[in-house]
Amino acid sequence: MKQTQMETMIKIEGLKKRFGDFTAVDGLCFEIFRNEIFGLLGPNGAGKTTTISIICGLLPPSEGKISFNDSHGKDHKSLIGYCPQENIFYPKLTCMEQLLFMGQMYGLPSKSVKTNAIDLLNLLGLEDKTNVRAANLSGGMKRRLNICLALIHNPEILILDEPEAGLDPQSRILVRDFIKTFGKEKTIILTTHNMDEADRLADRVAIIDHGKLLLSDTPQNLKRTVGEGDVLELILENSDENAQNQFAENIALRSMNIRINSESVLIKHPNIIEQLPAIKNLAETNGLTISEIKLRENTLEDVFIHLTGKSLRQ
Amino acid sequence: MKTISIIIKSLKEQIRSYWVLLLSLSMGPFFIFIYFLIMETSKPQYTILVVNNDKGVSINNRQINHGNFLAAYLKNTKEGSIAIPFTVNIVTDKITGIERVKNKKADALVVIDGSFSQAIEKRKLNDSTAMPKVEFTGDLTNTNYLISAVWANELLNEYALYATHNKKVVEVKETALGTSATASGFDMIVPGILIVSLIMLMFTASIAFVSEIENKTMLRLKLSKLTAFEFLGGISIVQLMVGIVSVLLTLFTALSLGFHYTGSLAIMIFIAGLTSLSIIAFSLIIAAITKSANEVLVVGNFPMFLFMFFTGAAFPLKSEAWFTIAGYPINIQGLMTPTHAISALDKTLIMNMEVFSIVPEIISIITLTLFYFIIGGIIFKHRHLKLT
Repeated sequence: MKQTQMETMIKIEGLKKRFGDFTAVDGLCFEIFRNEIFGLLGPNGAGKTTTISIICGLLPPSEGKISFNDSHGKDHKSLIGYCPQENIFYPKLTCMEQLLFMGQMYGLPSKSVKTNAIDLLNLLGLEDKTNVRAANLSGGMKRRLNICLALIHNPEILILDEPEAGLDPQSRILVRDFIKTFGKEKTIILTTHNMDEADRLADRVAIIDHGKLLLSDTPQNLKRTVGEGDVLELILENSDENAQNQFAENIALRSMNIRINSESVLIKHPNIIEQLPAIKNLAETNGLTISEIKLRENTLEDVFIHLTGKSLRQ
Repeated sequence: MKTISIIIKSLKEQIRSYWVLLLSLSMGPFFIFIYFLIMETSKPQYTILVVNNDKGVSINNRQINHGNFLAAYLKNTKEGSIAIPFTVNIVTDKITGIERVKNKKADALVVIDGSFSQAIEKRKLNDSTAMPKVEFTGDLTNTNYLISAVWANELLNEYALYATHNKKVVEVKETALGTSATASGFDMIVPGILIVSLIMLMFTASIAFVSEIENKTMLRLKLSKLTAFEFLGGISIVQLMVGIVSVLLTLFTALSLGFHYTGSLAIMIFIAGLTSLSIIAFSLIIAAITKSANEVLVVGNFPMFLFMFFTGAAFPLKSEAWFTIAGYPINIQGLMTPTHAISALDKTLIMNMEVFSIVPEIISIITLTLFYFIIGGIIFKHRHLKLT
C-alpha cells in the first residue's frame, strides 16, 4: 500500500445513525484513500451496512458528515458504485440489456455505456453470456453480473458488500483477481465478516462493532497489535472444563497467552515451536487428549477477539 | 433519454412476461365475444302469421284481392322501414295458425276476413257502413304478442288508408337519438366492454410498478440519477400503449362481430387514453400497498371487481345521483373513472352527441386521475422510495 502518496477520497467525521432508541452507527471517524482497498470488518449487526448505506446516500446520517474528494468533477451518484450482497438485477433482461439500461440511468451516452459493458463482461468472464437473460445465469455468474452493474457508470468508488459470499471457487478467484486489479485504479470499500477475505484483499481495514470503530490500520499492523509470534491451535478430544482450566493456568504460568474456545485452545508465544513439547506434556498431565495441532500466523480474527473478547462468527 | 430507456426496458419486460400481457389484452375481445354470443342467442324475433280468407271482388272484370295486397304490404314493409326484427309468414288456415302460436312458433296470428276486399272497395266509395275486418289472435300476456300486434295494427291501418284513398288523420314523427333506432343490444354493450379491456390494465400496470420492488432493482434505480417522475412516466407510457392496443383489439373484435358506431374514432381513442391513464394511476395505489406480483393479483381483484361491476362496464347499471353539478349527476360510482368513460363513449359512439357534451366526463376523468396519482404517488414514495 502506497501510504506515502495517499490522497483522501472519503472522509467520515463523527458519523452517527440512530433508529429510534437504537444507535446503529456511533460516532465513526475514518478516512479512505484514493486507489486503496478498504475493508470494513465486523460481525453481523456491527453497523457495516448502515455505514455503507449512508456513504451511498441511501440513508441520511443522524449526525456527522461524509465528504468526498470529487476531483473528477463527478456528482455523488456518479462517484459511487454499490454492489449489494444480494444479487439485484432484471431477470428478464439479458446481461448486455441491463448493463446498457443501468448506464443510461446514470445519464451516460449509449456508445460509451456499450463499450464499458463489453469491457466489464470480458473482465468478469461473462463475455459468452452477453445475450443471455440474467435469470438463466448460474449463481456465480449472477454475482459477477451484480458487480458489472455496480461499475457500469465507471465510478471512482466501488462498494462491495460481502463480495465473495456464496461464490463457487472459480467465481471467487475471478472476483478476487478483479478486486485486486480494479483496486489499483479505483477506491474499493469491502464490507465483510470474513477475516481471510479482508486480510487477503484489503490494503487497510477498519474493525467496527456495535457501531463503533475499534481499530483501523493495515492488516499487518492490526495483527501486530495482538503481539508477535504465531498461534498454536489445539483441538481437544475431551472437553472437561476443570482440566481445561487447570491446563490454562499452567500455560499462563509459562508466560504464554491462552484462550479456550468451545472446540479448541489457542496459545500464543513468540517462540511457540520451542514451547510445543512442554505444552503437550502439560496437556497430558492435566488429562487432556490432543486430537489435532495447527500452527498458524495471527489473523484478523485474533485481532477482533483481542479487541472484543468474542469471535467474529458469534 | 432516461424516460425512453425506461420505456424500452419496460416494453421488453412486458413482452417477456407474456402471460400477464396476454391475459390483459385478451380480456376485452373475450368479453366482446361472450356478449356477442349472449346477444345472438337472446335476440328478439317477432313472427306474425297471416291467414288470408279474403274472397276478393271483381271490378270491371278484374279480380281484386286486398287480402293478398295486405299480406304483401306487411311483408314488404317489414323488409323495408321497420327496424325491429319482424317476420311475416302466410298460413293456409286459422287452426294451423293458432296451433303455431300456441307452440310459440309465432307471436301473433292475423286473420283477414272473407269480405275484406268487398269492405275496402265499399269504403273507397265512401260507404261508411262497410267495415273491413281483421282478427288478431295471440297470448295477451306475452310481450312479443303485444309488440307484434301493435306493429301489425299500425301497418294494417296504413294499408287501409292507402287502399281507400284516405289520408292519415294524425302524422306522428319519431326522432331517434343518435343510432338508437338502429343500435342493437350488442352495440349498446360494446362501450362498456371497451372500458373493461382498459380495467384489465390494473394488473399489468401494478405488476410493472411492483416488479422493481420485488426484484429489489428499485435500490439500483435509487442509486442512479433516475427521478421518480421519469420512472413513473416511463412505465405509464408503456402501460398507456398496452391500453391503446387492448382497446383497439377489443374494438376490432367488436367491429368484426357487427358493432356499429357513430362519432369519431379519434375521440374514442382520446377517451380510452385518458381512461388508461386513470387506471394506471389507480394501479400506482395498488403497487404502493403491495410488494410482489402475487400480492397484486390478490389485492387487485377487489378494485377490479368494483371497476367492472359497479361502473356499468360489464353490464348497464343505474344509481341515484347524490347531487348534480351543472346538470351532471354525481353518485358513488362516480368515484371510479370507468363510470365517466362509459358515459362519454355512450354519448359519442352510440348517441352521436357533440364533443362538447362529454366535457363533464372528461373533467371528471382528469380530476380523478390526478387524485389517484397523488394518492398513489404519496403512498408509493412513502413505502417504496423512502431512503431506508
